Amino acid sequence: MQTSELLKGYQLDSQTWDEMCSQDAVREQYRQVVEFMSKLSIEELNKKEDLAKRLFMSQGITFTVYSSGEGIEKIFPFDIIPRIITAAEWSFIEKGITQRLKALNLFLKDVYNDQFIINDGIVPVEMVYSCPHYLREMHRFPVPYDIYVHIAGIDLIRNNDGSFYILEDNLRTPSGVSYMLENREITKRIFPDLLPNNNVRSVMDYPNILHKNLMSLSPGQSANPTIVLLTPGIYNSAYFEHTTLARLMGVELVEGRDLVVDNHRVFMKTTTGLQQVDVIYRRVDEDFIDPLVFNPNSSLGVAGLLSAYRKGNVAIVNALGNGVADDKAIYTYVPDMIRYYLNEEPILKNVPTYKLDNAEHREYVFDNISSMVIKKTNESGGYGMLMGNSATDEEIAGYIKAVKRDPRQFIAQPIISLSSAPCYMNNKMQARRVDLRPYALCGPDGIEIVPGGLTRVALREGSMVVNSSQGGGSKDTWVLAD
Amino acid sequence: MLSRVADSLYWMTRYMERSDGILRMLKVNYASSQDEGKDFSWKPVLRLFTYLDEAETSAMEKNTRASLKYMVIGKENHNSVLNIVIRARENARSVQDHITKELWQVLNDFYHTIKDSRLEYLLDKDDPITVIDNLIRHGLLYYATSDITMARGEGYSFMNIGKLLERALQSADIVDVKFSNLNGSFSKVSDITYWKYLLMSISAYELYIKTYRGGFEPKNIVELIILNKNFPRSVIYSLDHIHRYFERFRNEKNLESFQKMDFMIGKLKSKILYSTPDTIMEQNLHQYLLDIKKDLHAIANGLNQHYFAYT
Repeated sequence: MQTSELLKGYQLDSQTWDEMCSQDAVREQYRQVVEFMSKLSIEELNKKEDLAKRLFMSQGITFTVYSSGEGIEKIFPFDIIPRIITAAEWSFIEKGITQRLKALNLFLKDVYNDQFIINDGIVPVEMVYSCPHYLREMHRFPVPYDIYVHIAGIDLIRNNDGSFYILEDNLRTPSGVSYMLENREITKRIFPDLLPNNNVRSVMDYPNILHKNLMSLSPGQSANPTIVLLTPGIYNSAYFEHTTLARLMGVELVEGRDLVVDNHRVFMKTTTGLQQVDVIYRRVDEDFIDPLVFNPNSSLGVAGLLSAYRKGNVAIVNALGNGVADDKAIYTYVPDMIRYYLNEEPILKNVPTYKLDNAEHREYVFDNISSMVIKKTNESGGYGMLMGNSATDEEIAGYIKAVKRDPRQFIAQPIISLSSAPCYMNNKMQARRVDLRPYALCGPDGIEIVPGGLTRVALREGSMVVNSSQGGGSKDTWVLAD
Repeated sequence: MLSRVADSLYWMTRYMERSDGILRMLKVNYASSQDEGKDFSWKPVLRLFTYLDEAETSAMEKNTRASLKYMVIGKENHNSVLNIVIRARENARSVQDHITKELWQVLNDFYHTIKDSRLEYLLDKDDPITVIDNLIRHGLLYYATSDITMARGEGYSFMNIGKLLERALQSADIVDVKFSNLNGSFSKVSDITYWKYLLMSISAYELYIKTYRGGFEPKNIVELIILNKNFPRSVIYSLDHIHRYFERFRNEKNLESFQKMDFMIGKLKSKILYSTPDTIMEQNLHQYLLDIKKDLHAIANGLNQHYFAYT
């Protein structure tokens, strides 16, 4: 197949930044990939696509959908064409995320201790206390090394001028990192030699850095602390990720029922009796983690865990109570936090955001609702949002009513056009919208960001919603070395 | 090792062993059904491996294809190979970080194969041996992968104990069903096909004809399947190895549990070691097997209580 044929019908939208093509040519970083693919026939490309699917299936990189009592294995859709980020773009992103995370960590420390930022009037007190994820139990609790956010997944999008914006911060239990790792393994199989030829940086170190950080948090003196990864169990859609990470780090994968708290210490039940646990990397939501403090009906957590945590007998990653910092209403204050704590200008911009408890903003949003997206402040996964350009009048009226009732629970943003990237679909390249979630790890030695991340892609033409629960897929994400 | 993990590893292999046993049984019985003309009945096999009641069994026993489908891919049959493999995989899934990636993939492939909708057509219209052989091969791959890749630790011991316990129970069951079919009178002794297929279904035929001359003697069959230390499916072989793997659990931390279990296993082993084919046949084979099965279940319960209890 000729390059021209492969690219025939690749439609650029003048209002959208395309990762592969500028208005007149293929960008430098994509040339080798396009060339490589052009040399293959449609049959060969389809074979590669098929191989990728089979690899996911046979490795069990799947999630199970239960319907009519029967489990059906699904794979998270994967597109074979990598998303490519240049060294210069990456170094900018890396600096920006590092700066932002520093500020967010300081904010969490501040808001659970002296609250300077509130007293100085930067963040209004009601914003903090009205957040359902603000956790009184964390007040004046010294977390190890003052680190609250050990693992962050910061979502970035790219506007039509090519500049990156922060879409949201995920500071609780960000998921998807196993797809960063597995997608790369698949690329190795379907595009032999293409990775070294392009000088793509490796993402392999992620589990090792995470493991090192978890080790360093152990409250005991032991040289060989017991680290566990707490999962909700096999019915969780991210269960594959939990087993992958446990395996790659060589730590025990536990469920709530494997743990027990005795005298403010956490133990796991083994074949030779109880064994004390020092560090918990939890992938169970805060609401379910301790039935004595949070949801009393939860059987996923461990009764008494919070008391053991507060006594300093066990470290929990990420810290509890982080939700106050990734709340979508608090998000609007992050640039101010960066200026306040670090005395720096924010490197990565926020998407302009309207606070709906401000009457002026609210009116403006309602007047321009067809070009706005309204989001609930404490929901994620693409749920609880209204896209003004595609919603029905009824849906809009419903949201307006809900906003008027409790404006604090909503924010609005102008609909930002996500950048597009090439996907191989129906025998040709087609442009689809993408975002980017790099994973940042924060330990006593500082913040490390593995060069790569999860590129999510909206598989439907024109769609801007990339969430996997809403028909999104993913791509391998390449960061090129200098 | 986590109790839950030990439990899952143990059940993963128990289920895999069970699927292997069922498949071999089905393969040989299918071949036998082609030999015996209209007389052939699936009743003994259905009794052994399903929970159908008398009437349901009678309705199915003469229908080879229906019996096969029910036992291989019957969704409503709790003990079908399909459901057993699903359970083996669910167990494996929850301990993926304790088995090798290779082992997980082999088991996962088995799962996708048995879920394949084409199986039904093949079992219905085509050669069932092809289907069953293919499934047996998946099981063999599982055993080989486990042998080659798994670390020889605590988990591996629990896996082997699960496998051997299941096997001992199966062998005892098979002998029991096959002999009780004869209602105590071994008049069918002359029926070569009957015994031949019994032995073939547990891969014992070749060893039998090498060991014993002069046709099929019930006493010899009992000796081979229960007492022969060189036959890997005999009850004593399984028990011997269970004991060997169990001894690796000796540990200061739970000495009391260990000693209780060690006693139980040792006692059953002695009981079998000090039986002879003659004493067994005199004493009443059915009762003897019933006692053995009861003791094997007691060992399983003991493991549950002392090693797997995590609730």
